[in-house]
Amino acid sequence: MFAPPIDRLITEFARLPGIGQRTAQRLAFYVLRLSPEQALPLAEAIREVKESVGLCEICFNLAVGPRCRICEDERRDADVICVVEEPSDVIPIERTHEWRGRYHVLGGALSPIDGIDPEDLHLEELARRVESGAVREVVVATNSTTTGEATALHIADLLRERAPQAAVTRLASGLPVGADLEYADEITLGKAFQGRRAL
Amino acid sequence: MLRSIRFGEADRVLHLYTEQRGRVGAVAKGVRRVRSRFGGRLEPLFRVALVLHEGRGDLCTVTSAETVHAHPALRERRASLGRATQACEAVLRVFDSAEPNRPAYNLLCRQLALLDARPEAATRAQGLAFRMKLLLAAGFVPELAACSACGDREHLGAFSAAAGGVVCPGCEAGAFALDQEAHGFMVSALGQPLAEAPLASEPALRQTDRAIAETLEYHAHVRLPRLG
Repeated sequence: MFAPPIDRLITEFARLPGIGQRTAQRLAFYVLRLSPEQALPLAEAIREVKESVGLCEICFNLAVGPRCRICEDERRDADVICVVEEPSDVIPIERTHEWRGRYHVLGGALSPIDGIDPEDLHLEELARRVESGAVREVVVATNSTTTGEATALHIADLLRERAPQAAVTRLASGLPVGADLEYADEITLGKAFQGRRAL
Repeated sequence: MLRSIRFGEADRVLHLYTEQRGRVGAVAKGVRRVRSRFGGRLEPLFRVALVLHEGRGDLCTVTSAETVHAHPALRERRASLGRATQACEAVLRVFDSAEPNRPAYNLLCRQLALLDARPEAATRAQGLAFRMKLLLAAGFVPELAACSACGDREHLGAFSAAAGGVVCPGCEAGAFALDQEAHGFMVSALGQPLAEAPLASEPALRQTDRAIAETLEYHAHVRLPRLG
């Protein structure tokens, strides 16, 4: 319908998550209205991120260079590791300012139905990191979903076998702050009861 | 709930198996957010009562969810969780139409409840007994009483998915050896309740697994991973 370069831009926008054909069209026309000084930095930023950002060789978090900022930070505790599914899971944990340890990003969660087996995740690298002996605790912070729980149980078994000196813990589970009790589902509420603490 | 796939910003696409409408696909909006009203209930292995809005598209939209059975205990045990996931995967692959199949629905509900209540039920033998019953519910149960090619009732020592079940020595071209123990296991698995799945040796279980897998592959064009 449009000139080929515009069609291409619309197609590329439409590939982004949450962007449909109509929104892609709107974004393409917005870009067309921008001056070159406003539009080209976007293209440049995409090029730069694709050329310079890779995975940290230790924890598989996003990194510019061989290691991420967290693995390079000497002030972070190296003897505690928090295991997450995706690099995006590191951000909310960092925002809490509660965690001063390091991370290990698995790259997903076990899901046999989707063909994701242990070999597809960075589990072997985790086991090697922990069995080196310098790690005293591994906090499993995979999502609280069926696949996340299955992954957590797998990690617990793996580390019990390969690195019995390290404690394996799981993030607590319970009610979100500000939530009404009447809307809580049974499993969340049940876990909240199991994890209750003295006041 | 058989399967849940991340979709968009905070939504999920759900693969459901229902009592009255067979396989149903639905989208649950915003359920990945921490504050979602029913996100916690829309996880695989939950048995739920849903209110679905049927729009113009293929997927319904979840508007309300109540838990019937959450199976919380099986989520705490790796073996039970693994077997429950395998059961859901089998139903997901074998029953892909909107045609209801109440025996299959009841079978899956019983299997999940059993795995939740009894940790010792999470065995390979029990998983195979479930699959045998699933074959029965799907209409693909192999012939086990007589040679499926000639009808002979003696010397049934092999299995042929193409022939449709056990076969005698005279008809065993293309079949694999099925010993008496495996044959007995398959018959007992069909006849006994899920909770009383028979025991068998590893070789017999391997043969049963192969017989089920080849039957499904040949007749239903479905490839299920073998049970470890």
